[in-house]
Amino acid sequence: MRDLIPDEVNVQLESQGLRVLDEEDLAEIAHRINALRETIQALEMPDLDGQEPLNIYEDAEAQS
Amino acid sequence: VKSDDALLRSSTVLAALLQSGELSAVDLTSAYIERAKKHARLNAYITLDEGGAFAQAEAADREIKLGRKERPLLGLPIAVKDQLDVAGLRTTAGSKLVDYVAEEDSTAVSRLRQAGAVILGKLNMSEFALGGSISHPFGVPHNPWDETRQAGQSSSGSGIAVAASLCAAALGGDTAGSIRGPAAWCGVTGLRPTWGRVSRQGTWPLAWFFDTIGPLARSVQDCAMLFEAIAGQDPKEPSSSRRPFRPFVPGDGLKGLRVGLVRQSIDDGASTDEVAEGLVHALDVLKEAGASVVDVSLSLFEHCGLVCGGLSDAEGAYVHRHRLRERPEDFDFGSRRRLMAGMLITAQEYAKLSRLRMLVRRDVMDLLADVDVLVTPTQAEVAPKIATATGLTSKEAVLRQFFGSRAHRAVFSLAGVPALSVPVGFSSEHLPLSMQIAGRPYEENTVFQIGHAYQQLTDWHNQRPPLE
Repeated sequence: MRDLIPDEVNVQLESQGLRVLDEEDLAEIAHRINALRETIQALEMPDLDGQEPLNIYEDAEAQS
Repeated sequence: VKSDDALLRSSTVLAALLQSGELSAVDLTSAYIERAKKHARLNAYITLDEGGAFAQAEAADREIKLGRKERPLLGLPIAVKDQLDVAGLRTTAGSKLVDYVAEEDSTAVSRLRQAGAVILGKLNMSEFALGGSISHPFGVPHNPWDETRQAGQSSSGSGIAVAASLCAAALGGDTAGSIRGPAAWCGVTGLRPTWGRVSRQGTWPLAWFFDTIGPLARSVQDCAMLFEAIAGQDPKEPSSSRRPFRPFVPGDGLKGLRVGLVRQSIDDGASTDEVAEGLVHALDVLKEAGASVVDVSLSLFEHCGLVCGGLSDAEGAYVHRHRLRERPEDFDFGSRRRLMAGMLITAQEYAKLSRLRMLVRRDVMDLLADVDVLVTPTQAEVAPKIATATGLTSKEAVLRQFFGSRAHRAVFSLAGVPALSVPVGFSSEHLPLSMQIAGRPYEENTVFQIGHAYQQLTDWHNQRPPLE
């Protein structure tokens, strides 16, 4: 997976009604999202798909 | 008892002095207010409620004189993070974008009042409880141990106010480490309760799955006392737990308890040498108290900051989407960049992060089936200098400086378990070192037991910064 370039980041933000205030903001937002995407993509493990994403609440719900 | 001497004491001692009539709530409140004004340069408070606090203190003194002493915090001056609503006081959430006077108390504040506490005021914080704020509209928080250093985020004012004795104790909020981080860097004790143990009603949200409210105080016993006052099911918050809890009763020693040291939290440069050595020395004290200490492994540890950060950023971006669209220039630039990046996290990525989170929880729970608690340093390093830039100029910097530094606290936020930070000494630059103790869900008392036993054998929690 390739990194998003700042122009692509800007287009995505604009599509959500957001405006980037300056180049420094845009560069850091791009670094942040690219770091997240790259790491998330790389984190593969065999038992991942079997995990229920929300069962942390089972205890509180069981008491209600 | 002179109020000037008293204000350095622990909340449990102060509560006893107030109940016995040896100390008046008005005198103690006055002493804290004067001290808060004297050390205003630390920027601990956003709002100091002199009038309201004196009225509450006078009422407490009247109650004590009538012999009504059943309320455990009667007359005790406590301050709260500006993330929580306090009726009649301004709420800012640490941001230029919020400014209103709350009509009602948040549930946690309401419970403090029911227990008799005097609410001194509202404490400074990182914008919207996000970590990573650089500019602070209500003043940059200064660490009382070295005023050129950071106090930790996001409950910065809570950490400062307790360390500098500007209140008896404080409430903070902890999503990915915001109680434990400031507690560690300011050299005080702080508890992130089990998720669901303390109502978040009337509190500014960041990430619903992780947000908790808890105490920062001078000792484990103080934290236990405050926790017992605020914990419990809240009809106003459906996700709050109905599970009952028992008051904390300190036991004798730690014989029979098993402590698991998460190796990944100190190995391979995950913490600085001084921080790692501080933890190892603290574990020697726990052994002396009778605990057995074993090494344990948590393979996802290094990714916990990113997993928790990714989920929190996506949640936070949703919470603040309208403000981001309409008034981006009014955010701190660190917060703005973080939240805008959060807006770009895809549904696929969010789904994967949610499953990674449950893997972390599963692994933590598996470890806690074999040991009673897990320990790590609370922070990977001592308090750094106050920053004027984010320094996130590359992907690698984001991974290392932003997400990487959060793993120690994020791991237990992901697992939803209680985690306590206690001071365990000082670095060569005389900055506080810390140990984090995490237990099974709803077993705050086990965590307290271990932290309390440590504090019975050490004096680090009684150290005070050299303020003049």
